[in-house]
Amino acid sequence: MLNSDTLNQASVPTMRKVGAVLVAGAGVSGIQAALDVANSGFKVYLVDKEPAIGGRMSQLDKTFPTNDCSMCILSPKFIECATNPNISVLTETEIDRIDGEAGTFEVTLTHKPRYVDPEKCTGCGTCSEYCPVQVLDPYNENLGTVKVIHLPFPQAVPAVSTIDPSHCLFLSRQACQICVPVCRNKAIDFHHQQEKSKIEVGSVILSTGYEAFAPGRQAQYRYGAFRNIVTSLEFERLLSASGPNRGVLRRPSDGKRPQKIAWIQCVGSRDTTAGHNYCSAVCCMYAIKQVILSKEQLPGLDAVILHNDIRAYGKGFERYYERARNTPGVRFIWSKASILRENAENGEVTIRHRVDGFGIKDEAFDLVVLSVGLTSPDSNRQLADRLHVETNSHGFCKTGTFSPVETSRPGVYVCGAFRAPMDIPDSVTMASGAASFASELLSDQRGTLVTETSYPPERNVGGEPPRVGVFVCDCGTNIVKVVDVANVVTYARELSGVVHAQEETFSCSIDSITRMVATIKEKGLNRVVVAACTPRTHEPVFQDALRQAGMNPHLIELTNIREHCSWVHTGERQAATAKARDLVRMAVSKARLLDPLQRLSYAVTGAALVIGGGISGMVSALALARQGIRVHLVEKEEWLGGLGRRIRSSIEGGNVRAYVQKLIREVYANLLIMVYTESDLIEVSGYVGNFSSRIRAGKRGAVKTISHGVTIVATGAEELKPEAYLFGKDRRVATLLELEEEMEDHPDNLRDCSTFVMIQCVGSRDTERPYCSRICCTHAIKNALTLKKINPYMEIYILYRDMRTYGFREDYYREAAEKGVIFIRYDADDKPDVEAVEENGRSFLRVTVTEPVLGRRLMMNADRLALGVATVPSAGNSSLSQLLKAPLNEDSFFMEAHMKLRPVDFPTDGFFMAGLAHSPKFVDESIAQARAAASRAMTILAKKEIMAGGTICSVDGKKCTGCGVCQEICAFNAIEVDAMAGVAIVQKALCKGCGLCVASCRSGALDILGFSEEQTLGMIEAIMEGAH
Amino acid sequence: MEAIAPIKEVSDLIRDAGGDAFKLCFQCGLCTVSCPWNCVRSFSPHQMISQAKFGLADIEDEAWWLCSTCNMCVSRCPRGVSITDIMRSVRAIIMEYQYNMAQPSLRSAMGSLRGNGNPWLEDREKRPAWKQDLQLEDFHQDMDLLYFPCCVPAYDPKLKSVARASAAILQAAGVRFGILGSKENCCGESVRKAGNDELFESLVKSNISAFEAEGVREVIVSSPHCYTTFKEDYPGFGAQIKVFHMTQYLADLIDRGRLKFRKELRKKVVYHDPCYLGRHNGIYDEPRKILGSIPGLEVMDEIDSRENSLCCGGGGGRIWMETKKGERFSDMLVDQAISLGADILVTACPYCLLNFMDSVVTADKGDILEVKDISEIVQSAL
Repeated sequence: MLNSDTLNQASVPTMRKVGAVLVAGAGVSGIQAALDVANSGFKVYLVDKEPAIGGRMSQLDKTFPTNDCSMCILSPKFIECATNPNISVLTETEIDRIDGEAGTFEVTLTHKPRYVDPEKCTGCGTCSEYCPVQVLDPYNENLGTVKVIHLPFPQAVPAVSTIDPSHCLFLSRQACQICVPVCRNKAIDFHHQQEKSKIEVGSVILSTGYEAFAPGRQAQYRYGAFRNIVTSLEFERLLSASGPNRGVLRRPSDGKRPQKIAWIQCVGSRDTTAGHNYCSAVCCMYAIKQVILSKEQLPGLDAVILHNDIRAYGKGFERYYERARNTPGVRFIWSKASILRENAENGEVTIRHRVDGFGIKDEAFDLVVLSVGLTSPDSNRQLADRLHVETNSHGFCKTGTFSPVETSRPGVYVCGAFRAPMDIPDSVTMASGAASFASELLSDQRGTLVTETSYPPERNVGGEPPRVGVFVCDCGTNIVKVVDVANVVTYARELSGVVHAQEETFSCSIDSITRMVATIKEKGLNRVVVAACTPRTHEPVFQDALRQAGMNPHLIELTNIREHCSWVHTGERQAATAKARDLVRMAVSKARLLDPLQRLSYAVTGAALVIGGGISGMVSALALARQGIRVHLVEKEEWLGGLGRRIRSSIEGGNVRAYVQKLIREVYANLLIMVYTESDLIEVSGYVGNFSSRIRAGKRGAVKTISHGVTIVATGAEELKPEAYLFGKDRRVATLLELEEEMEDHPDNLRDCSTFVMIQCVGSRDTERPYCSRICCTHAIKNALTLKKINPYMEIYILYRDMRTYGFREDYYREAAEKGVIFIRYDADDKPDVEAVEENGRSFLRVTVTEPVLGRRLMMNADRLALGVATVPSAGNSSLSQLLKAPLNEDSFFMEAHMKLRPVDFPTDGFFMAGLAHSPKFVDESIAQARAAASRAMTILAKKEIMAGGTICSVDGKKCTGCGVCQEICAFNAIEVDAMAGVAIVQKALCKGCGLCVASCRSGALDILGFSEEQTLGMIEAIMEGAH
Repeated sequence: MEAIAPIKEVSDLIRDAGGDAFKLCFQCGLCTVSCPWNCVRSFSPHQMISQAKFGLADIEDEAWWLCSTCNMCVSRCPRGVSITDIMRSVRAIIMEYQYNMAQPSLRSAMGSLRGNGNPWLEDREKRPAWKQDLQLEDFHQDMDLLYFPCCVPAYDPKLKSVARASAAILQAAGVRFGILGSKENCCGESVRKAGNDELFESLVKSNISAFEAEGVREVIVSSPHCYTTFKEDYPGFGAQIKVFHMTQYLADLIDRGRLKFRKELRKKVVYHDPCYLGRHNGIYDEPRKILGSIPGLEVMDEIDSRENSLCCGGGGGRIWMETKKGERFSDMLVDQAISLGADILVTACPYCLLNFMDSVVTADKGDILEVKDISEIVQSAL
């Protein structure tokens, strides 16, 4: 691939760059960065100081605003990391130092002694059973206990036991060692020492995350003094099915199910006495989520959220907030709270709070949850110091408006909560953004350090009678202590088609796999059944074994006799054994009918189509072009720049106008970017890797056809022109953006203005647009600060509903207050009034609003009025949505594949989004998302070919009537009725094998390969045989 | 509802009097819910801040005189609003425009302070009479330390023992110290908080000139109120002194082995954290260290202690004002001490002592609970 950015390469002239990347911190952002980088053709070292990857997200119960189970959506990513041959997961490892320069870093790592050999440990848990010492369980926030030697949590990757050395009897006083002999795999070794190692990488991504604020630092919260006061993270564990109460919400003091819970917001956030003026950006939303989840468990619950501003600023958040607000028994109260006393007998905690702006109320609660903020731990600062990376005044990594994921050290990037407090989608977006920078920096080394496993050629089993081998797993003791495995093996031997059956202590251990490969060859097996644990984690492991043995990987059937049998039938040995036999019989029956499935490869067109030439579109285009990708940038207006042309500065002081000009110059200077202004997309066809699009280009409207492998949608948004507050009727009323332009271009107009009023939430958070436009609060403050510069004596009033200056923007909110800007909160049901008035020869705009604390109507005679108007989706979104077959959300912004973990991807492969097309956001966030879109695109474009096939849908053309129901129902646009032939055609590259279409097909023409009707019926017959 | 325009002239006045902090308030309400007044009556600092911000303060409202500057609100305020400065500024404006709005008892105390340097119309010359038979010298330059008892221990018959105990301990520890005698004036802290800046300044200047005349460099005080104003306000008027609260000094003497306890005190005591020692100055551990090192003594905390300690009600000039029965925080604290089974309620602030003694008398609990200063406890164990 050619690289256009010769300047970039010239900066490291002597040494050859290293095509590997270190990702420090394996929470959700680190995992996403690692996957993106690895899938773009680089070697990745994913380092974490903890024994397992997953970070804080692995401790969360569910996630807002979809209430997806946190672990359920995260653990597949664990598996992806664990099985990706180009990702080395290094846990219990810390970074000492990084020497060298961007492109050629040498990293020194310290590996803590683990005492358990990860190559040998299978995570069976036998050691834990025998270990005599219980300790508090950090995964459960010390609310439960675990053994000193334990798996960090059930889904841990690596699935390797870890030892708490401070409480281990052997490590602390040379006693015990009982775990050593009980481990059948001889994985435990107390001779481990701390070790150092050095690795070479070209780039580093820091994603070391946050620490929850410790409320014990502020005596007012009585944390630790009163028994029924917990932190929000502890509450997550109380809610979680894997928590200390197995998901049944009970309070700590006596296990009582709470009837009345209070959440106290902003604990350790927006609080200078706590040392943190910034807003932690996530607590309002997680508290709302916790309220909703608690109400699901306890419908009669009286839930009170004591808050300052409710900051539901993200995509879909406002609706979620409204849902909670409208739930009976849920009260949102605008007040901080004072915790007064604990009732010694019944454990109730009495707190005092304000009501309706001025009243006072004392209320007793069964449980009080402290919504603790996100802090950057000392370890982050120390790491930054060791790495010579600058931090900001709050101890987070320093970044800039136009460099949202770049640290002060070239080649070192940042994402996730070490950059700033942020939620999961933003962390994921920033992670992909950081990956894009690493990928660009090392572009000429792409593919140099990745390994591709080679397998022997596949043996053709066609025409052979089934020769099934059955492997039944003990899973250490997990299965064998309940199920009579020997009996199941004997039984399996007798089943039709089975030529071999054996027991394995750990089927998944390396020596077992080696044995399995040898057995397959030796016995001439052509089908394999493994009766063990869940295919979700282990199917790839056994499929790989088949490939090593020269078999098609689809000739295996897994049956789960652990989760589905031994774990749920403890103490029922006979019945469990019978069930295991049934399960094996079903699996064998299906295995006999398995066919080899072929995977096809498609060439990838190494070009991208970017729709929209604003900041996001240009950033995406440049990021791709600098990695050698040809980019077609289509803009509907005459000029590039989009909405960015009207923004003058960021609140941090970045010159947006100059930045946009620079982007435009760079875009035009880049030979790989074709710019089409005044152009529209008129047709898109094809599929991931191979799109063909037609655009109507330029004034003359010539139609051009473009081939591309990916499509990025960056179509931006618009500023609402409201019909309220005399807008459009009185020239003194402007939008915030109009005001920004005027302040910059004609400041003299405003110098004599003595009273200025701004009204927020104009057209946002109402019935017509029930979403928050995210940027307007900060925009008002930015403008107010500029007005104060123009005329320091100007009286400025900002009328708001909730100030949503999340993250470090809170500092500017405080600064504005310090400079005398007056903020007045108003209620949606009692909006301000504006009228043009002539009085005593003076003409002004009279604004009246109810001041909620005084309970009085205040009146301001303003010279000028600015409106914080909604950011509304681009008018072209609906037609583009139809063209791309890409769905819009309820608010007509483009809908992502998954709100939490795939915030940049469309549901259909090969489409990505960036900037305001996704939802309202700031310039730095748009840049990060544009970078993320480029990164996600590179995971496709970096491949020479895309593999498709396997477990996907197939159509029986003879049965298909071409009714089109399947086409309607497919979420991935993978099936389409060919009008000419009148039958459905599956686009193999897009099909995910979900099976929705199969269920919808009325003529029985569809089947999922590997789950065919015949195979499924075979299993049902097998189970019925047992019933006779 | 008729709309009313903010009155900028009034908010400017409050700002210029030092109450500028109102602009930072984001109206979370934590001050009001934290304020001890809401345990006995309704009182809304957050509303008063809003009134100040919009220039809509009603200076005839008695609420402006309630704040005892206990600092609970300030210590918790997430925006760092110096709420007590706002109260003080409005009081200063009332003093200037509506002097008769101040309670008569406060006006009387201020009048006496102006003439006699003490709040009770007592003879200036009788100020050192508290020492009785103790052999104490007036401060001179060869001495290390000035002991400054201030008005309550100097004049109040119930509390002269505090001054005497303090002096006796210092003597026992071999500290070379003296007193200012009749040259001592009230430190003025309470009238500053009551808004009388002019009187405060005159008291400060008298004290500073006495310090300078005698060459005082280090001062030890019994009252956390003296401690606070010497530390925070006096340097602004040119004072160059180092100040210790008695508890700090005693804790240090114990550390250095210069104070030995020979007697055992078989008593249960509850220690009360005075606002101006604790929340204002962060001195929590020293008093506990002193009490903890006395043999036989069983020491307990108040129900709400340290940062969460409940005010006695005597700060902010409230000590010179009448507090209605049923609204006295000290009554609650005395009840709590009794409920904890204490023999003695110990504290380290003369205002707390005055209020507690009053509460014990009015509740007729003198036979159950004694009220003592920490110096008296120390002295009795020497």
